[in-house]
Amino acid sequence: MSEKNNSNQKIIVDLKDTSISAISIFKIVAITAAFIAFAVYTPKFTNAYSMMILNISLINFIAALGLSVMLGMGGQLSFAAVSFMGTGAYFVANLTNGRLGVAWEPVPVLVGAVLFSAVFAYICGSILFRLSGTYFTFATIGLVQVTWSVYLNYRPLCGGPDGVSGIPVIRFFGMSPRDYHDWFYVLLIFVLLAGFLVERIRRTRLGRSLASVRDNEIAAQTLGVNIYKTKVIAFTVAGALSGLAGGLYAMHNQFISSDIFTFDMATTYVIMAMLGGVNNTVGVFVGALLVTMLPEWLRPIQRYLKLTYGVGIIFLMIFMPMGLAGLGNMILKKFFRRKKGQKETLLTDEDETGGEV
Amino acid sequence: MLQGLTILTQPIIFMQLTINGVAMGMIYALMAMGLILLIRAIGVMNFAQGELLMLGAFITWGLTYQVKLPLPLMIPAAMLCFALVGVIFMFLVYWPLRNNSYPTATVISTMGAAMAIREIATITWGSLPLVAAPLVKGVLRVGNMRIVQYQYLLTIVIGAILIFLVFMLFEKLYAGRIMQAAAQDKYAAELLGIPTILTTAATYIIVVTLASVGGFMIAPVFLVNVTLGSLQLRAFAGVVTGGFGSVKGAILGSLIIGLVESYSSAFTTTYKDAVVFLVLIVVLLFRPQGIFGELIADKA
Repeated sequence: MSEKNNSNQKIIVDLKDTSISAISIFKIVAITAAFIAFAVYTPKFTNAYSMMILNISLINFIAALGLSVMLGMGGQLSFAAVSFMGTGAYFVANLTNGRLGVAWEPVPVLVGAVLFSAVFAYICGSILFRLSGTYFTFATIGLVQVTWSVYLNYRPLCGGPDGVSGIPVIRFFGMSPRDYHDWFYVLLIFVLLAGFLVERIRRTRLGRSLASVRDNEIAAQTLGVNIYKTKVIAFTVAGALSGLAGGLYAMHNQFISSDIFTFDMATTYVIMAMLGGVNNTVGVFVGALLVTMLPEWLRPIQRYLKLTYGVGIIFLMIFMPMGLAGLGNMILKKFFRRKKGQKETLLTDEDETGGEV
Repeated sequence: MLQGLTILTQPIIFMQLTINGVAMGMIYALMAMGLILLIRAIGVMNFAQGELLMLGAFITWGLTYQVKLPLPLMIPAAMLCFALVGVIFMFLVYWPLRNNSYPTATVISTMGAAMAIREIATITWGSLPLVAAPLVKGVLRVGNMRIVQYQYLLTIVIGAILIFLVFMLFEKLYAGRIMQAAAQDKYAAELLGIPTILTTAATYIIVVTLASVGGFMIAPVFLVNVTLGSLQLRAFAGVVTGGFGSVKGAILGSLIIGLVESYSSAFTTTYKDAVVFLVLIVVLLFRPQGIFGELIADKA
């Protein structure tokens, strides 16, 4: 798989990291404005049910961000997001609802869930990255099946097929969200935190090492990048993000069962990440939003919904493999290039590197 | 645990489980072989493999019970359908994406195809399971004990024949060598005048036929329904367990997965799934190159 593609891959070096171009200023302003508009106006036009779906799409975004780190930055296709969502969710569920005799404060338990998922992801990553490429992907499917089977059947910790109910909602300094509209703002905080974390990682040593591993493993090795360690750390970060998403999901729905941790859900997360543009945080946000909300919007064609969805994915991959973000970048580039001549073409900004995965 | 062992040591039950396991292993092997052929030839992981098996089961069911063809006519008609499905599948899911700079896109598009095939089957044939009569009715008996349905034995035989045919194709026939050449180096093959579009299409036809025949064989045992697609996960496990990049490894690995799955039902029914994939992870821990494989990671 890789041999075939290595020939037309270039090693991308982010030369232009600190300098600011017109494009990036425009982007930052546009994204901030769109986000504020989204945060202020959507709750006003949304009823409680749609709000719940919207909130779930925010949670999905956090989990899909983990995939963005793995697949977009590191080029490793992993299905394991649902496994770590599960560890996070059941950790929170068991330690806050009192079924094991303890009912701790939600926030510390959420932090614990993130750490626990990260440790679990580290262990799994150390094992799974003994494989590379396609076979790593196959192995993550195995992991998803094992964890799903445990979540479905293990009564003492996971409640068996009945799931776990009665999970208390999150509580900051004695304040808890009363309805889905309040939850929306709570989740927005976590979305921003996760988004900034990933954007930050992109600009650290880890992010650059990952990009080099993605673009050319051999070249990365000659530059002194420890490929195995880099991948495992990325897997751990992805696991922590998924764990956070799982914990939030448990608190938001106050009930969890194994049917959201299946392989089918795992593919949905991959599709979310790919739809928006896998190496682009904003793109992943749009992707998570679209994939979660689409079934609600397309209710009139319920019967053909999944067919449309499946065929849509194929066409999306044919015509814009970099997702909506890739399309947006292309349009932006064209627009600015026309205004400023050839100057911009020499500069690569970080989103464009995704095109060379 | 001890109870499971005592169950397993009864010869009749042991035989039942073994035959069951080998038969299921054959089905997984048919899918796993297709997976490896596609990975070797074009470097694409096919996530629609289970759906192709399901579609095969539905097509043969439709030809037998809706078009009402007798078996000797049904088989060539089904083969024609499989070939058609293979070509359509290739031109929709692989061909437009072959020069894509983003290899994961092809993988994702097979996921989309899996979803689409599942929905087409649901819309055409409904979501209720359909009953298909076994090709050979009856049950193998030793004395008074029912051992196993003949269908399982037939599955093993047909599976073995297909595997043999594929090996003959690639080892002995000129066409097979052409396909291998195209798989190894597409560019050089094209320089030699090998039409890679035809070899790729042939690969897809073989892959679809293998999976679909698996679906045809399994239909009487599992009923024809859309959930048959989930069997592909076992085929993935077989590919990794056996060893990478080799068809032989994939077949042996699939048989092992089938047997492990079958024997584990003597110990636990709830965690059958987990046991299979736990075996996979244990194998990865101690022999990351697979039980039979050399360390050939990801060779296109």
